Amino acid sequence: MLGAEVTFDVALPKVVWGWLVSTNMWAKSIATGTFLLGLYFIKKYPEQDSFFRKWVPILGIIFIGITLLVTVLDLHHMFRFWKIFAFAHFTSAVTLGAWVVSAFVIVLLISFWSWVTGNKKLFDRIMIPGFILAFFSTIYTAGIMGEATGREVWVFPSEMISMLLSAMIAGSAAYLIVDAVYGGVLKENVKRELGYILFGSAGLAAAMFIGELFFAKIHSEFAHRVVEVLAFGEVAPFFWGGMFLTFIIPMVLVGIANENRKYQYAFLGALSAIVGLWLIKHAWLIAPQTLPLS
Amino acid sequence: MRLGFLVDLSRCMGCMACAVSCKAENNVPLHSWRLRVKYIDQGEFPDTKRHFVPLRCNHCENAPCERICPVSALHYLPNGIVNVDHDRCIGCASCMMACPYNAIYLDPLTNSADKCTYCAHRIEVGMMPACVVACPTHANIFGDLDDPESEISKYLQEHRDVMVRKPELNTKPKHFYVRGSTVALDPLASERPEGYTLFTEVKFLDHIGGH
Repeated sequence: MLGAEVTFDVALPKVVWGWLVSTNMWAKSIATGTFLLGLYFIKKYPEQDSFFRKWVPILGIIFIGITLLVTVLDLHHMFRFWKIFAFAHFTSAVTLGAWVVSAFVIVLLISFWSWVTGNKKLFDRIMIPGFILAFFSTIYTAGIMGEATGREVWVFPSEMISMLLSAMIAGSAAYLIVDAVYGGVLKENVKRELGYILFGSAGLAAAMFIGELFFAKIHSEFAHRVVEVLAFGEVAPFFWGGMFLTFIIPMVLVGIANENRKYQYAFLGALSAIVGLWLIKHAWLIAPQTLPLS
Repeated sequence: MRLGFLVDLSRCMGCMACAVSCKAENNVPLHSWRLRVKYIDQGEFPDTKRHFVPLRCNHCENAPCERICPVSALHYLPNGIVNVDHDRCIGCASCMMACPYNAIYLDPLTNSADKCTYCAHRIEVGMMPACVVACPTHANIFGDLDDPESEISKYLQEHRDVMVRKPELNTKPKHFYVRGSTVALDPLASERPEGYTLFTEVKFLDHIGGH
């Protein structure tokens, strides 16, 4: 007897979570990353805080708005979204995430009001709860993926750290872009530090991806096959495009920018990181869905 | 009471009576299924063998779909069945991502998640699931796993080759197979050639709403 092959099967459609979910994760990384980094820079550089007190709520509301929009659009019963609050099932990371993000939206609205009215104390009061909510808004998706038992690469143990690094990449890149677009409002030391954060986060995230996917011992055949799909299969263009655009190109360009004090390179690196982040999130989301489970 | 299923794969002849009766009983739309029979051909002529594997929800005791459902649309019944409340489902597809057996689908007509419920509506009135009734070889054996005198319990006691799908995931399925093989139960143990295979020209229904 030689090999076996499936000659009849009507498997259910493969990719169920598509670009809307990728966009959800991408936009959430920007919203939470700008919030977390914004708090850090407000505390560290009080003389530059007007920039961050303005852009923390604006970027946060825009991108958490995109996150919520695509989340609801992705539901097959979008008008039943309210049930997640009325019939909450708290073993589900989806439920926890919905509640945490909703609370985060309230924090962002308060911070927006604080900027509009110039009431800095109001923003200062919500910094700690805002930090906690932004942190958990960043990582709850790793909880969802961890509960997705059928899709093994999603349940890698470093997923939460990977999501935090994505938020750092997205947050620093977003501020570099905003600063460049608005004519270089930030002082050089802040720009340099944003560049270092982008450089370091990209480097760590790349090392984790490479280490976990290619060097770590993979314990299941399914996970091994997913890595093959990622690296050499149908989502490989997204994966490698994402690897270059999110990690390698920004590191090179930010390195040049900080070394030569030519910050237009940092702007290009930041743009590359923002585009690449979507690609790599998409590749990572799709790859485990391409394999048969039954 | 813990209701469970067992399929004696040596009895299954791939007639699809179970799949058809399931479709008819539960109004399962085109290109969706609660129960399907997969064919796997093994070997090279003349030394060949065809495996038939009925696949349905495993009604896991530790069901990932129940855990991840944000609104408890998927829930346990007291008899162990993992049931679906279509009116509560928000259509997020998390259950489809969580199920390691690809047993859940989004019904294109109702836009709600659906799957095998062991015909809970029939069991409630003392009837057997439709697939059990339709099977001409009695390959589908259904009953109470807690009752040592039930046919399924006796079958489990008498056979040493009882298998479940993906036991390493600790989902504790209540759907068993006897006289099976790795080729039959492991989705990666057989090739899945692209392109035309038997009866693959199937009609897709568009979803009414959502994506």
